Amino acid sequence: MGNFKIGVPRALLYYEYSLLWIDFLEGLGAEVIVSSPTTKELLDLGVKSAISEVCLPVKVFYGHVMSLKDKVDFLFVPRMVCVEKGAYFCPKFLGLPDMLKSSLSPLPPLIEPTIDVRKSATNFKNAFLEVGKSITSNSKKIYCSFIQAQKNFWLYSAANKLEEGDLNQLQINQPINKSSKGEGISLNVALIGHSYLLDDSFVNLNLISKLKKAGVNILTAEMVSKKEIEKQLKKLYKPLFWTLSKKTVGAALYFLEKKIDGIIHLSTFECGEDSLVGEIIRQESHKYPSVAYTEFVFDEHTGEAGINTRTEAFLDMIIRRKIYESNHT
Amino acid sequence: MKVTIPNLGNITLIAAKSLFVNLGHEVIMPPPNSKRTLDLGVRYAPEYCCLPLKIVLGNFIEGLEKGADTLLMVGGWGPCRFGYYAETQKRILKSLGYKFEMISLEVPRGNLLHQLHYVHRLMNKNSFSTLIKSFRLAWAQVVAIEDLEQEALRTRPREKIKGETTKILQAGFSLMERAQSVEEVEKIKQKTLKNLERIKDQGKEDLIKIKLVGEFYVALEPFVNHNIEEKLGYLGVEVERGVSVQPWVTSALNLNFLKGGQKKEGPVEKAARPYLPHSVGGEGQPTVGNVVLASERGLDGAIQVIPFTCMPEIVAETVVKKVSEDLDFPVLTLIYDEQTGEEGLVTRLEAFVDLLKSKKLNRCLT
Repeated sequence: MGNFKIGVPRALLYYEYSLLWIDFLEGLGAEVIVSSPTTKELLDLGVKSAISEVCLPVKVFYGHVMSLKDKVDFLFVPRMVCVEKGAYFCPKFLGLPDMLKSSLSPLPPLIEPTIDVRKSATNFKNAFLEVGKSITSNSKKIYCSFIQAQKNFWLYSAANKLEEGDLNQLQINQPINKSSKGEGISLNVALIGHSYLLDDSFVNLNLISKLKKAGVNILTAEMVSKKEIEKQLKKLYKPLFWTLSKKTVGAALYFLEKKIDGIIHLSTFECGEDSLVGEIIRQESHKYPSVAYTEFVFDEHTGEAGINTRTEAFLDMIIRRKIYESNHT
Repeated sequence: MKVTIPNLGNITLIAAKSLFVNLGHEVIMPPPNSKRTLDLGVRYAPEYCCLPLKIVLGNFIEGLEKGADTLLMVGGWGPCRFGYYAETQKRILKSLGYKFEMISLEVPRGNLLHQLHYVHRLMNKNSFSTLIKSFRLAWAQVVAIEDLEQEALRTRPREKIKGETTKILQAGFSLMERAQSVEEVEKIKQKTLKNLERIKDQGKEDLIKIKLVGEFYVALEPFVNHNIEEKLGYLGVEVERGVSVQPWVTSALNLNFLKGGQKKEGPVEKAARPYLPHSVGGEGQPTVGNVVLASERGLDGAIQVIPFTCMPEIVAETVVKKVSEDLDFPVLTLIYDEQTGEEGLVTRLEAFVDLLKSKKLNRCLT
């Protein structure tokens, strides 16, 4: 088969698996087209084509698919069901290809491998090899390209993790004199939430650059090692059964335990997982009164000014507390 | 141990209650679902979690107020949020300062000891034969209740005097509550069926038939769905239920988890296959399958009832839109939350039924 184009929407699990997917598909000799970062027009397209009840990230996904569908020969929309024992993805990921096919037509043919390691431990690999077979008949090329992609993916995932002691170093308890009004104070704030919220600066309204501009040291769940997350999750009476939420909760508990300055939980309106997970984190945060905690809920109507105000108020609160504490100890 | 069980139509009111009473527990049922139940749930539950969690939380609070000290719930392992209800509710109630024990029955997974402890508590030092006897009675009641309710749905649009069906049903259920043996349950069921048959207007044969599908709790709890079955009955519509407690209990008791957790594909899942080949948790896939089957069997339409923000049913809703288009089969999706008003619902139901009637008339004329 010649040179054909495979479209990968820049939304949802793209932010978790893009490296693996793109390396693999490109390794097979396909031209991979990733949709451009989210814009207002893209979101509007999504809002128009999806039913009103779905959550914002899925609407964004619809928008990306709409922008790609006339430019590519295939769309890569894997059905991610289960990648670890005892945990699933959100039901909307389980039915994502079917939702697309039901509400958008005509669509280019979908490449929709089902990834479900409950069936067999090698299902993850096999699903990809199966995809490869539909693209090229060279089985050696398929295998090598998967192994290479997976290696890169693992290397990347393992990088940038916080080591024991890193956080203590970050915790700069520099003396603050009475006259300073907060300048020069370095704050450690953790942003937790789904990667498709954190990494999509249109959806989260440039929250990250806002915090950076304010001189905040941003920590994310990506920086917490898997082992640490598993350890933290043992605190829950009943294990969680959502892969993405496990990461969120584990990281939140870790940052709480390390008593960093503040935690912002990003979620979207109508997010099923976050409605329960948010409650857990909120209640756990009560046990650590020294850690400031707030929750930002985004939907397609969220305005930037509102987020600015809330971010500023949140940071001011932390700074004021720090100044107060340093003057009274 | 004073046990309270959340409301779920007549199922928990009669069957679940009888099971635990026969095991020697004191059962304190929460008061029937009311505006207050909903308000309590809405006040303390997370804002955008689904309606069933809120109502059940309200039930628990009202049960605890009446003096219960043990809350009984069922759990699961996802991907639907329902599996984590008990855990969340426990946290919320504890933070409100209530003292209680939460018994959440579920298929054990890594927490076998907890589950065995729960079962041991519920057995209440009874012998296994008592347990089996009590369970058989409760199961007979479940089957009888569901059969009677289904028959009532056929009878109501045909009743000669409005309200008669509900009256007979209520009389049957209040007898059923006191039944002490499987034979007695069967006798009451047969008698009630006969009574229902008697009030039917045999002339009315060709009625509009609607399949009721959607999320389990909303479909089965009359307070939550604003008594949709009765309302449709009075509009002259025969309703066929697409959800039932029975398969839910049998799949848990069949010990599916020992067989690797992979359920066999039934006729409903098979029907859903062209549109939704994979389970999405909850009743998502059965909803799609039931709509396809209803269309094949020549019913006139389907109504999907879902709580606002329900994850599996939103997938199903998207897919059902396509099914409805492809098969030219009208489907009305009703989304319930704490704001749902009675009048708005009635208007939508009437409009939908009118549409089905005119569609049927057109088909007869051509």
